[in-house]
Amino acid sequence: MKRTRIIYIVIVSVVCLLASCEKVIDLKLDTSSSAIVIQGNVFDHPGPYAVKISKTVDFTDANTFPPVTDAKVSISDNVGNSELLTQSEAGTYLTSKLRGVPGRTYTLKVEIQGKTYTGSSTMPAAVGIDTVYFRKNIFDEGNQTVLEFRDPIDVDNYYRVLEFVNDTLRPGFYIGNDKLYQGQEIVFTISSTSINSNDPLKTGAKIRLQLECIDKNVFEYFRTSRGNNGQAASPANPVSNLSEGVLGYFNACSVREASITVP
Amino acid sequence: MFISVDGHKFTVSSAAWRTYRYFAHEMMLMQLYFNGAGMYRSKLYFFLIFLFLLQPVLAQQHFTISGYVRDAKTGEDIIGANVTIKELPGKGASTNTYGYYSITLPSGHYQLSTQYIGYSPQIQQIDLTQSQKVDFQLVEQVKELSEVVVSSQRKNENITKLEMGVQKLDTKDLKNIPVLFGEKDVLKTIQLLPGIKSAGEGSSGFNVRGGATDQNLILLDEATVYNASHLMGFFSVFNSDAIKDISVYKGNEPAEYGGRLSSVLDIKMNDGNDKKFGVSGGIGLISSRLTVEGPIVKDKGSFIISARRTYADLFLKLSQDTTLNNASLYFYDFNAKANYRIDNKTRIFLSGYFGKDVLKLNNNFGINWGNSTATMRLNHLFSDRLFSNTSLIFSNYNYKINIDNTIEMNIISRIQDFCLKQDFQLFSGTNSTLKFGINSAVHNIIPGIITASSSVDLKSLSNKHAWENALYITHQYSFSNKFSVEYGARLSSFSLLGPGKFYTYDLDGNTIDTATYKRNEYIKTYVYIEPRATFNYILNPQSSVKAAYARNVQNLHLLSNTTSANPTDLWIPSSNNVKPEIADQVSLGYYHNFLENKYEFFSEIYFKSLQNQIDYKNGAELNFNENVESQLLYGKGRAYGLEMFLKKKYGKLNGWISYTLSRTERKFEQINNGNYYPARQDRTHDVSIVGIYDLNKRWTLSATWVYNTGNAVTYPTGKYQIDGKTMFYYSNRNANRMPAYHRLDLGATWIVKKTKEFESSWTFSIYNAYSHENAYMITFRNNELDPTRTEAVQTTLFKLIPSFSYNFKF
Repeated sequence: MKRTRIIYIVIVSVVCLLASCEKVIDLKLDTSSSAIVIQGNVFDHPGPYAVKISKTVDFTDANTFPPVTDAKVSISDNVGNSELLTQSEAGTYLTSKLRGVPGRTYTLKVEIQGKTYTGSSTMPAAVGIDTVYFRKNIFDEGNQTVLEFRDPIDVDNYYRVLEFVNDTLRPGFYIGNDKLYQGQEIVFTISSTSINSNDPLKTGAKIRLQLECIDKNVFEYFRTSRGNNGQAASPANPVSNLSEGVLGYFNACSVREASITVP
Repeated sequence: MFISVDGHKFTVSSAAWRTYRYFAHEMMLMQLYFNGAGMYRSKLYFFLIFLFLLQPVLAQQHFTISGYVRDAKTGEDIIGANVTIKELPGKGASTNTYGYYSITLPSGHYQLSTQYIGYSPQIQQIDLTQSQKVDFQLVEQVKELSEVVVSSQRKNENITKLEMGVQKLDTKDLKNIPVLFGEKDVLKTIQLLPGIKSAGEGSSGFNVRGGATDQNLILLDEATVYNASHLMGFFSVFNSDAIKDISVYKGNEPAEYGGRLSSVLDIKMNDGNDKKFGVSGGIGLISSRLTVEGPIVKDKGSFIISARRTYADLFLKLSQDTTLNNASLYFYDFNAKANYRIDNKTRIFLSGYFGKDVLKLNNNFGINWGNSTATMRLNHLFSDRLFSNTSLIFSNYNYKINIDNTIEMNIISRIQDFCLKQDFQLFSGTNSTLKFGINSAVHNIIPGIITASSSVDLKSLSNKHAWENALYITHQYSFSNKFSVEYGARLSSFSLLGPGKFYTYDLDGNTIDTATYKRNEYIKTYVYIEPRATFNYILNPQSSVKAAYARNVQNLHLLSNTTSANPTDLWIPSSNNVKPEIADQVSLGYYHNFLENKYEFFSEIYFKSLQNQIDYKNGAELNFNENVESQLLYGKGRAYGLEMFLKKKYGKLNGWISYTLSRTERKFEQINNGNYYPARQDRTHDVSIVGIYDLNKRWTLSATWVYNTGNAVTYPTGKYQIDGKTMFYYSNRNANRMPAYHRLDLGATWIVKKTKEFESSWTFSIYNAYSHENAYMITFRNNELDPTRTEAVQTTLFKLIPSFSYNFKF
């Protein structure tokens, strides 16, 4: 379901054929004042649910992102429930009582140093995973993990799949929608090994897949984060469902899981 | 007005006649007063006065010399050949696109001389007592090895010619300039001229004076070519073997051209040798080509067929990788043309082009796209002063992407044109030519539809229909030997037609209106007048000053937000949401020749103002989106610059240096807080140096060096993490620059055998001879060895690439 990405992969592989090369270069990049990054979730399984708040750093800094510890975070739903979150680790705020229910709309409110940021998300109904299996990779050596599930007809569905290998989340946004597949059995492939990957899945590795049913705005966030690494012609920050000036997303989604071990 | 005196017929100018009548009337009045006496004497006096007035008017009888200028060996019409008159320096004519010229002169004796670069001049003595046909057959000039070329042969038409902002490329230059993979490429060669910049390494899209890549009108024998590149932009669709003439107008094109803002690239193909059958071709590392031409009826009609195919995929089959050795990667081009002189006033031409690119991987993924055009043209001489051309043109560009990864998905897009053009040229007098005509085109566009099955009836998919018309008139007039002007206007209209459902969006992209239209119902019409004017003032035979103004309107827009020209870009017509793009350009140039026309120099400055430019909302979904117009933003732009060009035309070493200093900016309310920011194609300095050296009769060496400062890009100003993935934070758009680009190409041509019957040669080339790693793309990622750090990675497309090909002709 990543047609443009497939086209991109093909173009890049054709290009790589023709005596091209990559090299790391030293670029003098501008810096800007730090921006706030908020990542919040509400699931349909029992909590606690977490909201992580941090700040951006300069490109040349190490990848440690300073947490925001002085935020006031609250989540409310559209049936009158509301909860103020408490900070557990630095920058991570947890719920205690709130329970996610499909169909409800959740609103996140974050107050930092006098400024308020909000975002809302409606939790879609869950979709269960039918099967999980391995398949040979089309473009490269190695295997791909494949999920199959049935798309509910008459509803616009948006999906996100997370892959945990030996309980570590593999970074990567795998999303899809049902535009062409209304009501059909969807075969969702995860490119576990990319063209230039150097750690293919080893025998015995435990893979856990989570299928999230997300709302349209959260889908748009992940869709517009493609090309964020500079591949797009005019890279920009993803379109977020949070207020202007803040990076990240707020995702109320239903989740189903399945596991498989690498043969 | 004729009177008869002693049996000789004289033409009397109306001025003289009026003067005569005035005096006659005065005389009559005087007679009434001085009754009788002076009557006969006054009649004599006034007759003498009349004869006196008649004198200067005696030589006013005019006749027309007209005809065709052709290549003596092949019969090809020569476009833009200069016909000059020894007795009237500064007066003359230039052959039109079909090799036809017409000059009207007073009766007398003249020495006509015709010249064109690469041919020996030809002289004919004319006794002009009646209108006559004078054809010229020019003979190719033997290569001059010494520096001394007869001065009188050196031309200064760059000084005298009216056109401004137009550059003609000599097809001989094409043959000697080395380019990528040794393939001669028109589009890459024009990028060596000032003001014309490549849109990116390996891409054959180009930007002219800061315009976008869709703002160039590319014509192949009058048919529009929508995507002039093969293989994602690495090669152009033009088979250089069959090209006769290449002209580039950088925004100041005359009124007979229209539809794109920034340039017109007018390519004319050869008509075919109408005297002798011939075959030529070449076998190269990446592709091979073959051309067959010959007479249909000797001296009356000819045909030419050209074909080219690449076989890059044969190299892929050698790969160990199973993905690669199942892949198909090729393109082919096919050109066919025939013409026939029905009588000495009428000539008919039929031409066609068909080209396709195929890229297929494993039956899971395939993309193919192609252009096809078909043209029928009819030339007719209504009189020796009125030349007419009628053209019927069909043009089609389409692409299809097929993905078959358990679920099959096809993406189809197509643009199809049916066009009628009627052009007239009226050669009225020595110093005046009038060109006028109409164009009418119907566009059918399928804007990127997704379907499940691969075989689908294209007619059943929802098409957008548009009807475009234009009426133009241009007058070329020489006020004196020094000052001439070409002015005119183009009245253009564009209508979007039904059937279908059409949405109107507000500036945020929300639908505010939906309307359903019936077949051929008018949804929106735009009418504009595009004035054009060029002035040429000759300071002396070595230098001139030119000034020009033009307005251009564009109604077909290419939507693309990827890095390079990509066949999945989308063409959309102007509509109830999308207004036509408008450009107004003024330019001023100084032209000067040195050392008796051995060196040509010009310097031009321009300023262009752009309206209704299109950009995309953040995260716009352009591909396969029926509501693509809701994703667009509208703004304005401006571009300005200085171009300098120095060319050595004659001698063992020749070539040119071109330099452009420029800026192109855009202003959109929603981008960069509504401030002017550099467009992606903005590059401050651009230098090209081309040198061609005739070592001896067999060897020609050439070198090209290009340098440009980087394009505007957006780099991150920070970073953060989302779900374990490192994300980059962006602030202002296009606030940074790519690293500078430079490259040296070397080439050599070795003529093995050259006889009247057979010619063969080898061409060697090295692309990027010192293997400079030019940045094609810069991306950002975690450091592969140390994931706690991030780094910038530069991808280079091409390093040193040698190539060779064997060429033959018989």
